[in-house]
Amino acid sequence: MTPTSESTATLLALRGIRKHFGGVVALDGVDFELRAGEIHALLGENGAGKSTLINILGGIHRPDEGEIRVDGKVAQIGSVTDADRLGIRLIHQDLALAPNLSIADNLFLGREPVRFGLLDRRRLVADAERLRDELGLPELGDVRVRIGELSIARRQLVEIARALAVRVRILVLDEPTASLSESETEVLFVKLRRLRSQGVGIIYISHRLEEISRLADRITVLRDGRSIGTQRQADINMQQLITWMVGRELKEHYPRPPHTPGEVALSVRGLRAPGVNDVSFDLCCGEVLGLAGLVGAGRTELAHVLGGFVPSTGGEIVIEGHPVQLHSPADARAAGITLVPEDRKRHGLVMTQTVGFNLALPWTHLWSRGCVPDHKRRDAIVARAMKRFMIKASSAEAKIDTLSGGNQQKVVVGKWMEQPPKILILDEPTRGVDVGAREEIFALIGRLIAQRMAVLLISSDLPEVMNLSHRLALYRDGRIVRHGAAADFTPEEVMAELTREVPRTSPSGEITSHTQERRHYP
Amino acid sequence: MKYFRTFLPLLAAITILLVIFALWVPENRFLTTGNLIDLADQISVNAILSFGLTLVILIGGIDLSVGAVVALAGVVCVSVLNTGGPLGGLAAGLGVAILFGVVNGLCAVRTSMPPFIITLATMLVARGMALGFNESRPLPIGADQTFILLLGNTRLGGWLPLPVVVMVVVFAVTAVLLHRTRFGQHLFAIGGNREAARFTGIAIARHEVAVYAICGLCAGVAAMIYASQLYSAEPDGGKGFELNAIAAVVVGGTSFSGGIGSLPGTLLGAIIIGILDKGLNQAGVHFSLQYVVKGIVILVAVYIDVRRRKEAVQ
Repeated sequence: MTPTSESTATLLALRGIRKHFGGVVALDGVDFELRAGEIHALLGENGAGKSTLINILGGIHRPDEGEIRVDGKVAQIGSVTDADRLGIRLIHQDLALAPNLSIADNLFLGREPVRFGLLDRRRLVADAERLRDELGLPELGDVRVRIGELSIARRQLVEIARALAVRVRILVLDEPTASLSESETEVLFVKLRRLRSQGVGIIYISHRLEEISRLADRITVLRDGRSIGTQRQADINMQQLITWMVGRELKEHYPRPPHTPGEVALSVRGLRAPGVNDVSFDLCCGEVLGLAGLVGAGRTELAHVLGGFVPSTGGEIVIEGHPVQLHSPADARAAGITLVPEDRKRHGLVMTQTVGFNLALPWTHLWSRGCVPDHKRRDAIVARAMKRFMIKASSAEAKIDTLSGGNQQKVVVGKWMEQPPKILILDEPTRGVDVGAREEIFALIGRLIAQRMAVLLISSDLPEVMNLSHRLALYRDGRIVRHGAAADFTPEEVMAELTREVPRTSPSGEITSHTQERRHYP
Repeated sequence: MKYFRTFLPLLAAITILLVIFALWVPENRFLTTGNLIDLADQISVNAILSFGLTLVILIGGIDLSVGAVVALAGVVCVSVLNTGGPLGGLAAGLGVAILFGVVNGLCAVRTSMPPFIITLATMLVARGMALGFNESRPLPIGADQTFILLLGNTRLGGWLPLPVVVMVVVFAVTAVLLHRTRFGQHLFAIGGNREAARFTGIAIARHEVAVYAICGLCAGVAAMIYASQLYSAEPDGGKGFELNAIAAVVVGGTSFSGGIGSLPGTLLGAIIIGILDKGLNQAGVHFSLQYVVKGIVILVAVYIDVRRRKEAVQ
């Protein structure tokens, strides 16, 4: 195989792809070309049409118009099976795994080994173990563990392993690193580069521009369902990309709000809970305390304890000088703490309901006297929040699942701000959120700080947490291992600290705390 | 060993119930070989129904029509017996049961109606059709129809009831289908995460229709045995069978939200329900109180199962 001839062959060509959903135009003439042996980044704000486009490639949607060519031949991708046959594999942002089945079951779902017409479970496990070892993913651990017991990061690894389990020619990854730590991201990148050298064409969707600049060969930007342009990665700078994506110039990538800390709002001493080992810190009014840690360090566990989701097993939480007991989210709210959870679909929103329903939900006591709802008051609360947070929805009565991820996130944050809490805990607030919405969330944090709110920012996005925070706490194995002014840290230092004693050293050691008990299915 | 641990609570419950009724039922009539064989015989109809229902509930569905289908398949079978012979009768009875399953499945797949409503409706349709036969009076099976009559009343070797054999065969077939084939594996995937199954390229519609059809077939088999045991097909029969079968499935550890469950569990669940029915009866408990006791046992069983599951996840 000669790399030069491989890398110039056009693997996939899309011409004039259009797709409508009802009255909404999702794709309005997309041209796209993927070569064998290249990593081609697909960029665009949420709602730009990326998901629709890759779903067309995966055989989940059919285009209304346009032409798809694979290897120069017109291809009809009418089903997932068709896509499989063409060697197209999708890795979805919303994890497409069955939580009740084991890792091995999921890896071979739809093509389980069969012996005499019966499922060959022994071979299934053996094949899965071999696949794990071949792919160099020892992080997966015991392949008989059920998916439901794994952290989101590990589920992501399972998903990636599954896509690579079969011969793949075109690999499509939708935000694969959204929940991966830096070290796991590195593992993924090594795999992707190896696949590229084997002639696989890779379409890579991410909001993280740094990642794309490190990984991609070419970049195509989508906006409002159209392809705006394609450029070699080396020929384009980040500012230009952002301009392409949002259609306007953005001044500063990560603006840090001014730091004028006031009195201590939240004081935590020796806090313990499953995954949290003896955590102590102070958080002042008018400051952002960044908590940086790898996936599985116990950050979300800490957030859940402070938000009253999970009871603590020891230690003290003091709010404005008064010790509090947080037995429920209601307790936390009464104490002035609001948690914006990591998993917005599970913990943050009522997905079957409207934007207005979600925004008004925390404030029923304000707009419902006795049992009689006051729709005017409710609508006023909703309208205020939508305006203040620039939530883009067709109306307050739009279903929440019609919104882009960024706008959903703005709803999760915005629903608490009718009467702002004293202490706001943001767990991965920009996960799966596009650049524009990300900027708006950063600006929002700045405004809240100006209003003397105390913000605990938990993030695995290192530039984000380093640039936005005033003080930084490095978190590892459920402990704060170092803290100080954010400006005093360099990214290299932080990474070195966080990755010390990576869990990889103990093959049986689980990355998360959720894996103590294992149940196997008969 | 793994299996044993999974089913330990159910086995323990069975043991405890056996001990209770052994002590409670007067004159030591409960724990005798004859009585236990009768028990197995009486369990078989409900068990066969609940095997099919397990698959349906496992993929996140429900089938309320099985009780009415038992009645309809019975009267159809007996009506055809005189002209069509025993094989014609069996084919007609099983055919109508499968047909109802397929209709349930197609409605579930093709429309976005919830299976609860679909099968509630087809339950009424099946019941109404059954009541249309013979002015709603029981249809006796002719004394010359020895083949059909033997089905529910034969004791192989003088002791082993044929319905129990049928139950074991249906159990073995469905258990292998669910736990040892790709089809079964895909049912777990569909129940666990429909979208994941779809993205994987599993033909969900085909699987779903097949599952409802299998459930219908099980109802048909149960109907034949039931009619044979009664020496007649009753248009009014089979009332509440769907609830008893659902009880067996959930007591057996199948989750109503789908994706979790097993056929051995359902078998044990059916045994527990059967022991309760027979034991309470023989202990002389008034039938009104029997309902109350059964209801409480179901609540407790499912509560324990839910808690165990929660602990396993944490």
